[in-house]
Amino acid sequence: MGEQSVVDVALQGGTMVGAQQADRRKALQKLRLNDVIFRLGTRAAAIFVLVLLGAIIVALIHGSWPALQKFGFGFLINESWNPVTENFGAIAPIYGTVVTSFIAMLIAVPVGLFIAMFLTELCPKWLRRPIGVAIELLAGIPSIIYGIWGLFVFAPFLQQYVQPAMINTLGNVPGIGNLFAGPPYGIGVLTAGLILAIMVLPFITSISRDVFEAVPPVLKEAAYGLGCTTWEVVRYVVLPFTRVGVIGGVMLGLGRALGETMAVTFVIGNAHRISGSILAPGTTISATIANEFTEAVGDLYTSALIALGLILFVITFFVLAIARYMLMRLNARVGA
Amino acid sequence: MSTMAAFTVPTVANAPINMDGLAEKVAIRNLDFFYGANRALKDINVSLYHGKVTAFIGPSGCGKSTLLRILNRMYDLYPNQRATGDVLLDKENILAPHQDLNLLRAKVGMVFQKPTPFPMTIFENVAFGIRLYEKLSKSELEGRVQHALQRAALWEEVKDKLGANGQSLSGGQQQRLCIARTVAVRPEVILFDEPCSALDPISTAKIEELIDELKDDYTIAIVTHNMQQAARVSDFTAFMYLGELVEFGETTKIFTTPNDRRTQDYITGRFG
Amino acid sequence: MAASFVTPLYGKRQRRNTITKFLSLGATAFGLTWLVLILIVLLWEGFSGLSLRVFTEMTPPPGAAGGLLNPIAGSLVMTVLAVIIGTPIGMLAGTYMAEYGRYDKLTFFVRFINDILLSAPSIVVGLFIYEVMVAQMGHFSGWAGAVSLAVIVIPVVVRTTEDMLILVPDTLREAAASIGLPRSLMIQRIAYRAARAGMVTGVLLAVARISGETAPLLFTALNNQFWSTDLNAPVSSLPVVIFQFALSPYKDWQSLAWTGALIITFAVLALSIAARLLTAQRKQS
Repeated sequence: MGEQSVVDVALQGGTMVGAQQADRRKALQKLRLNDVIFRLGTRAAAIFVLVLLGAIIVALIHGSWPALQKFGFGFLINESWNPVTENFGAIAPIYGTVVTSFIAMLIAVPVGLFIAMFLTELCPKWLRRPIGVAIELLAGIPSIIYGIWGLFVFAPFLQQYVQPAMINTLGNVPGIGNLFAGPPYGIGVLTAGLILAIMVLPFITSISRDVFEAVPPVLKEAAYGLGCTTWEVVRYVVLPFTRVGVIGGVMLGLGRALGETMAVTFVIGNAHRISGSILAPGTTISATIANEFTEAVGDLYTSALIALGLILFVITFFVLAIARYMLMRLNARVGA
Repeated sequence: MSTMAAFTVPTVANAPINMDGLAEKVAIRNLDFFYGANRALKDINVSLYHGKVTAFIGPSGCGKSTLLRILNRMYDLYPNQRATGDVLLDKENILAPHQDLNLLRAKVGMVFQKPTPFPMTIFENVAFGIRLYEKLSKSELEGRVQHALQRAALWEEVKDKLGANGQSLSGGQQQRLCIARTVAVRPEVILFDEPCSALDPISTAKIEELIDELKDDYTIAIVTHNMQQAARVSDFTAFMYLGELVEFGETTKIFTTPNDRRTQDYITGRFG
Repeated sequence: MAASFVTPLYGKRQRRNTITKFLSLGATAFGLTWLVLILIVLLWEGFSGLSLRVFTEMTPPPGAAGGLLNPIAGSLVMTVLAVIIGTPIGMLAGTYMAEYGRYDKLTFFVRFINDILLSAPSIVVGLFIYEVMVAQMGHFSGWAGAVSLAVIVIPVVVRTTEDMLILVPDTLREAAASIGLPRSLMIQRIAYRAARAGMVTGVLLAVARISGETAPLLFTALNNQFWSTDLNAPVSSLPVVIFQFALSPYKDWQSLAWTGALIITFAVLALSIAARLLTAQRKQS
């Protein structure tokens, strides 16, 4: 049966329109419930994400409450960590976390920016893809592999060759000499910082490369057209244009470095003290928790460890929030 | 309202039309449209008639696409866009809040500027809309799909490859597939939003032929920036400028002896 | 003609440019060197311990020979569970953000919070699940391990789902709406289908991410020397076993640790390549 034209149907006095409408209404009614459920379901899932963050914060506070109640703010500056006398203080892990991350960023940021410069300005086109892939490989290697590689390969290497040299040369320089004092353990704060640097490097590199590539070619061509060298184009055009994005990327990398556990745990040495030399062993918040949590006896010990976790979460939350804020500003400017 | 039995259906768009036998399908009264605080359409009053093609012409930004998209409440998908006034489809105001949008859109189909076949097979593209509303047997469904593809003048070209991906067709074929998809749902009004601007001249001619064949059974509105196309295809033409409906009338009259100075300027190419 | 431009300043600029060029080349070589060093050692040490036994025998006590069967099985099970739990939640949330609530306040906050969760320290996730599951249940369990991995999966899937759905052109959505398709059906039948490759990529990336995660498992699923099918009890996993064996003083345990590390790295690499192939396929179509 072919489709009759509306005219014919009307001439015959039919009501094709009416019947169709009734059928369609029925069909749509059936679908309505599904429609509403799906919509509410997606909204609930979105709210769940917010709830998740809230739950994490609440759980951490709840778990660390005994320790926070006992030690108060003194927890943050107490250097002792004695499970026997139940005297716990967070300053040594906090110090270790901050210093290792600082060392990592000190190395990874310039190196990452230079690699990004190489990839966007100097590298021949056919080489860009492979190197880009290699950088992503580096980023994809799980951190525990960095950990065992650090423990079995890197630390002994540092101990045998690099650290003695450091102690003999830099250790004698007045002022910073104390930073490089002490026996060459191999493992320690510096080693952890170096491993962290290698871990964070691919992040900084790929974010920097992405923002560098977003610079409008006309801008760079204008600079080249004036006779600027490659370095000058990067320094005076690319970097200012991408400044916000680069800082956002750096903050992201910092957030990662602060929270990194496995790569650091293997090579930091797990000594709960602050020493002047970066060649000495120390500890970080995540390394302390990883090493001691399952062995912790007593509620106060466990609670102190959870308190450490809370401190770490607060620190990384702020760093990541700043990073996201900066990247948001960048997107607003570029109009993405 | 006059009965439908009394009018004659012209075959050439430029022949004079008997106004007596017209059936008003869509009546737009005092329509305003806002993008946020910006008033994009100002007090539009116009009617669309069954069995006729009404073309909306005007320079870029005059609001013709905006007007078209009100007729199936497409703007509802986006925040900050709202319409005030009355748009009566078969005497019912479609701007009313209780209006069932999905039902409305089944009655008022739309063909877009850029062909947008669904990421499915050719058969599925057409069957999709049918299946939504009706439970048909396999042979009935195939019959409906074939019929829709025939009405869209695409059947001969794709009958052997109904299982191919819809996106593998050429631009003109994709657009005809979209027309088939729209027709398959059995709408009463079809809106064409610059349907040929992304196509080559031969595909354009095919689609214009198609519109001519389809118009007997539907109420058709077409937005186009191509004046020659409007003159070829439509029975009525509305000229819009800066959000206002400047002039409306039979196509022959608009293109030969327009009343308004602005219409004349646009038609003769003074601007736009 | 050119002579008038060659001032002493010009020479300095050229020198500076050359130095920085070398620096950037050096930096790239520096970065690549570490990759090569790590991969070489990993392959060397990992392969030397690799044998069929690794996949067929349980973890041994120190001094005996054995394999990694139970940690591999445990990791697989918990990973699959984490994906089953986390993906639907992540997909639905991402769908809300891209479809229903694209411009509203809730989406703005969820996006912000989600990005923070994405980079949050995974050890904190472990502590969280410890508090809400292990402490409440009174014991470690494979379920706790799976849930803590799911918490890591969710932000990844939310992000990729939202990004992929936003890429679907609005014209496709309007075309679906124009034949009267209700919103939910339009999303399920049209938008999901159009973004399918991207969303699968997101899941693959999430799996790659949790394959190597150790910290969240340390005090949720703990570890188990023996073969166990009870998810309500501690379950062994590859990363935790590597952690335990590598820090031990036993040579054969350390060798198994390297082999385990090799297996994880291969898995992560394979998933990343699969994800990359999917994206490439999508770009071609």
